[in-house]
Amino acid sequence: MDSNLAAGLAMIGAIGPGIGLGIGFSKAMEALGRNPEAAGAIFVPYILGLALTEAIGIYCLVVSLILIFAGG
Amino acid sequence: MPEEESGSLIHVAIKAEKLFNIGPFEVTNSMIGALLASLLLLAAAWYITRRAETVPGRLQVLIELPIEYIAGVTAGSTSRWRGYVALVIGLFLMILVSNWLGLLPGVGTIGLQGEHQGELVAFVRPAAADLNFTLALSIVTFVVFVWWAIRVNGPIGYLKELVGEPRYMAPLMLPIHLISELSRLVSLSMRLFGNIFAGEVLLATMLALTTAVIFVLPLAFFVPAVFLGLELLIGIVQALVFALLAMTYITIAIAEHHGGGHGTDETEHHASTPA
Repeated sequence: MDSNLAAGLAMIGAIGPGIGLGIGFSKAMEALGRNPEAAGAIFVPYILGLALTEAIGIYCLVVSLILIFAGG
Repeated sequence: MPEEESGSLIHVAIKAEKLFNIGPFEVTNSMIGALLASLLLLAAAWYITRRAETVPGRLQVLIELPIEYIAGVTAGSTSRWRGYVALVIGLFLMILVSNWLGLLPGVGTIGLQGEHQGELVAFVRPAAADLNFTLALSIVTFVVFVWWAIRVNGPIGYLKELVGEPRYMAPLMLPIHLISELSRLVSLSMRLFGNIFAGEVLLATMLALTTAVIFVLPLAFFVPAVFLGLELLIGIVQALVFALLAMTYITIAIAEHHGGGHGTDETEHHASTPA
């Protein structure tokens, strides 16, 4: 019970990466709209930025999954 | 304590379960998954190089396309790309195959009764859903990029880089630089593990939720299928991310030394410093 509550609370941290991913994606689409030929050049840095932002959310997820499945 | 409540709905173990022993060596089900993935890759490599043609057939294109793409991206990173392109392609293919192997029916669902509470211990578990596998890949990447940094800068140059520019700031900057190097290890392994393990939990939860209403709504068959499609996408994106981040870390390790003097202009725009 307690650890389930803590797991839920840990996922509050996913708000930040969610906002960050939205900003990153919208900027990438903006750049693509301005310059459609740059799609190939944008793709790799975009995927890297997405992964680095998402990692913070994944930390929260790992903490809460550990609390649910392995926590006391 | 939470075994009774969460165990009734779904059962996903956070660590890989032991299947049998070979001497003092425990063989877990995610090791079987990793072994199957590497056997599949070896068989594909053996079969395709055997009958490779200049005008490739469908199967040859299927395996050449990702290799050519990753090699093309890596070739744009530094002038010494030939030294590490094999590692980047290998990481990508291994992670991709082991992720997609985990989505096949039977993986994670066929197994034996465990010793503890009669829970299922699957024969095969997707390799990346075990932190040991992802940590091993990250340690390999870490050793390679530190090795490249030492090889390009020399041991003294690498130490100077860790100490930082104003020498009197060393007591403060040295721990920060060390932690930032080590945090790459943690973030690489945790990202892959978190994504794949969360995918397993997601699929198990969706199946458990929809089997409850399967006689009321036949539509319930299609809900897990949507998430399977999502997991296919996540599998390839995470493989690409791991390979590209490994490439970027090596690129940074090589490019820091040149400082714009060596005429490799392509390195500049890759050399932002991700944590």
